[in-house]
Amino acid sequence: MRVSFPNFSNIHVVIKAVARKLGVTEGELVVPPPTTQKTLDLGVKYSPAEACLPFKLTLGNLIEACEMGADTLLQARGTGICRLGYYAKVQEQILGDLGYNARFLTYDVSRNKLVGIFSLMKNLRGANWFRDIPALHFGMSKLFSLDRIDKVVRHTRAVERERGGANRIYKEAIASIDGAENGREVKRLTRKYIGRLNSVAKDPRARPVKIGVTGEIYVVLEPFANMDLEMEMGKLGVQVERTLSLSRWVKYSLFLNPLGIDEWKDVRKAAMPYLKRDVGGDGWESVGEKVFHSREYDGLVHVAPFTCMPEIVAENIMPSTKEDLPVLSLVFDEQMGKQGMITRLEAFVDLLKFRRRSREKHENFSGC
Amino acid sequence: MVKVGIPRSLLYYQYYPMWRKFFEELGAETVVSPVTNEAILLSGSSRTASETCLPVKIFVGHVLYLANKCDFMFIPAVRSIGGKIYNCSKFLGLPDITRAVVPESPVILDPEIDLSRGQGNFLKTIYALGNHFTPDRKRIKAALEEARKANLVYRERMVSLKLTAVEVIGEESRNGNVEAEAPLSSCLTIAVLGHPYVLHDDHLNHRLLSRLRTMGVEILTAEMVEQEKLDAAMARLVGKAHWTFESDIIGMGGYCLERGVDGIISASVFGCGPDSMMVSVIRHRARELDVPFLSLSLDEHASEVGIVTRLEAFLDMIGRRKRICV
Repeated sequence: MRVSFPNFSNIHVVIKAVARKLGVTEGELVVPPPTTQKTLDLGVKYSPAEACLPFKLTLGNLIEACEMGADTLLQARGTGICRLGYYAKVQEQILGDLGYNARFLTYDVSRNKLVGIFSLMKNLRGANWFRDIPALHFGMSKLFSLDRIDKVVRHTRAVERERGGANRIYKEAIASIDGAENGREVKRLTRKYIGRLNSVAKDPRARPVKIGVTGEIYVVLEPFANMDLEMEMGKLGVQVERTLSLSRWVKYSLFLNPLGIDEWKDVRKAAMPYLKRDVGGDGWESVGEKVFHSREYDGLVHVAPFTCMPEIVAENIMPSTKEDLPVLSLVFDEQMGKQGMITRLEAFVDLLKFRRRSREKHENFSGC
Repeated sequence: MVKVGIPRSLLYYQYYPMWRKFFEELGAETVVSPVTNEAILLSGSSRTASETCLPVKIFVGHVLYLANKCDFMFIPAVRSIGGKIYNCSKFLGLPDITRAVVPESPVILDPEIDLSRGQGNFLKTIYALGNHFTPDRKRIKAALEEARKANLVYRERMVSLKLTAVEVIGEESRNGNVEAEAPLSSCLTIAVLGHPYVLHDDHLNHRLLSRLRTMGVEILTAEMVEQEKLDAAMARLVGKAHWTFESDIIGMGGYCLERGVDGIISASVFGCGPDSMMVSVIRHRARELDVPFLSLSLDEHASEVGIVTRLEAFLDMIGRRKRICV
């Protein structure tokens, strides 16, 4: 059996870690090559024309994995509303047409939760609690440490004196955490890299604008899909704030939601006057984040794949909220050009700086 | 009399007779917007985000038309009509989208219909809805029963007489019986897959159904087939349904492929999330069984001539095939 999975943010680090602890050998785990233009081209070529970007990219990943000999594929599945629920069905058909005889193991992201993960592991290696729980714990520790580092990176990028320093450290961090053998090493590396990031030379006069990023989780978290959005924002001196992250999803969705703790409670409550119900995907939360953070952020970037159903609902509702927070909606598909995105970001950041200046001027006047 | 506005769009085609009965029983009058025209489409798309799918833009246009002509606007958020099967995001967000983009709309009645949460929950929703008209719970319940009956009659007529939704609704309003427009010479049977709000909105689909009939084709749409047959065919093809109106496309496609038709035309709207996946499943199956399949993608830029040309070419191809095969 040769197992593979589609790329998504840093998930390859986690899956590799879990697989190693489960005793899956190097040869049995096919890590798909990093997502590139070739991946996208493959995905676009074989997908239905109107499928959304995450479908096309993950299909591209899976085709590349099959080319490398994978025969068992992990894919996410959801219940209801968003088309994620149909991904595996259609992708299996397409791969079959291409002559790959791969078996899909799906993980339902909206049901089953922790049980689903254990049954996946059982499917792969047979059940063994003494092995499975530490393996999962090890994978999670890598995920949490990467997300902690990522947060520091987002803040450092905005104020570093020499652009690109934080990115280099981040890349290094991913590689060395990926190589870490045990939990203690992961902790040590996390401290080391956060220390290095904090000691990067900073511009003391920098006053970064604070912009939130929200929207559909795949495009928000997968740098290839959003064309390194956060990196580009960092280059423009923007402090990127983001509530969505993989570790947060894991923490709540797998462990705390079943106990009745809802991480989105405040955000959803904030959205209530404008959107009263869950519309699938991350649409409700997107509206909520705009309302909830309207005092805290200078602006919000709302990203979504083209034709994403829940985010279109959010996009229609966002402009009408009483809370006044500038929103830039960016819609991603295979036609999107990076320069176009950068130009729009620049204009947005300029606008926010101008807005801040005029507000400060106003406050100064009323002060005297 | 209190007037309830019902936009002639989206779920209107599936549920209008039921809704009308319900509101009439409660002593309210229903006001329906006219058949979609260019002005309605333009006014709707000027308010919504450009990415929004065409039926929702048209829906907003209908709401704008009705805005100053009624006391309430009826826009249910239909989450689920059974099982753990849910509807497309836009149906759920519809009342909220409307509130956001049409601030001048009268009070929006937005009951959340979620049958997956049980009958008790549903009744509570209906009582809350009826409360706008009468505090008398018994009367609301009676109205609900009448509405259910009206819906069954409506469904039954479409299946037994092989009529489309619009024909049955039209027949009721004229109080007379109409036969289905007789095709000139029905030698071809073509299944047309699509949501009712796409197939029956003549402005959106450039009169697809009547055009096919005048071309001498006998058409078959999902509403002409018993729901059980659709569900069974769907179960055989993909297993459990994922979306509420999945049987319109997958069930109908599967049923027709099993029953045998001369060809299948799928009419979907550009950017429709569920359709992009479902049509691909049916296309795949049709290719395996070697059944001609035409997929029409409609948006506000679709030109009538382009559609006619494609239809003619498709029918010519099937005609030639049949002559060779027979």
